[in-house]
Amino acid sequence: MTVDSFKFLPGSIAAYYRNLPVQREEPVPFTPLAKPLAECRFALVTTAAIHRVGMEPPFDTEREKREPFWGDPTFRRIPRDVRQEEIGACHLHTNNRDVLLDVNIALPVGRFRELEAEGVIGSLAPTSYSFMGYQMNTAEWRERYAPEAAALMKGEGVNAVFLTPF
Amino acid sequence: MLARTFEEAGLSTVLVTVMPYWSERLGVPRTVGVEFPYGHPLGRPGDSDTQMGIVREALRLLEEATGPGEIRELDYVWRQDLDEAKKDWQPLEPSPIIRMMIEQRRAQRQQQEGR
Repeated sequence: MTVDSFKFLPGSIAAYYRNLPVQREEPVPFTPLAKPLAECRFALVTTAAIHRVGMEPPFDTEREKREPFWGDPTFRRIPRDVRQEEIGACHLHTNNRDVLLDVNIALPVGRFRELEAEGVIGSLAPTSYSFMGYQMNTAEWRERYAPEAAALMKGEGVNAVFLTPF
Repeated sequence: MLARTFEEAGLSTVLVTVMPYWSERLGVPRTVGVEFPYGHPLGRPGDSDTQMGIVREALRLLEEATGPGEIRELDYVWRQDLDEAKKDWQPLEPSPIIRMMIEQRRAQRQQQEGR
């Protein structure tokens, strides 16, 4: 079976995506897994624009409302033992209802804690990361925020990353 | 694009997406594709079995991939009326960029009608 990436998109958005002039940069970077899974430490990364209410500020949606081509390029940190009721979400391009019911559809901290307990993976790192996926220009991600997140991960001994674009 | 930067920093990555199309076009180190609506890379809230099934497939790819760019598509089926599913993932209010486009189109139409 081949996944139809456009199945759930309105025709206008699908057509827009198909016509975007993006350039695939070669070579595609590749870091082979350094250790068996059972010894790897994982960080999770989503672009669901979730944050921990009261602990870190939400993403800047007010500026996006004023400047529709801009999207907040910063990230938020989510601890591995986050409770569902602590999760806030402010993505303006999706319905946030389901991630507010179960963070695991975007950031599967519960599933990774179970895999850690089973011994399938070495461990889930103390911190996971949330970005906001609407970025017309990814320069700030590339030059600043993704390297910052990578440095934080390495500081926690992470060697593998599980990502879910939202 | 985040995945590429992490990979360059020496981290091994695997990505689960509802749009493997972008992985193909942009070049992503390792991708698992699922045919789910936006905002649901691991399926429905509360469906731990599906979430875990997809995570395990992603871990398998992480272990088995020998070079960059591999895309594995899973055969999970989203059980919901298609028209309903197309609407259900969308925000309750149009996003700022969509709102701007709607307003621009309306202005254009008014201009044309005014001629």
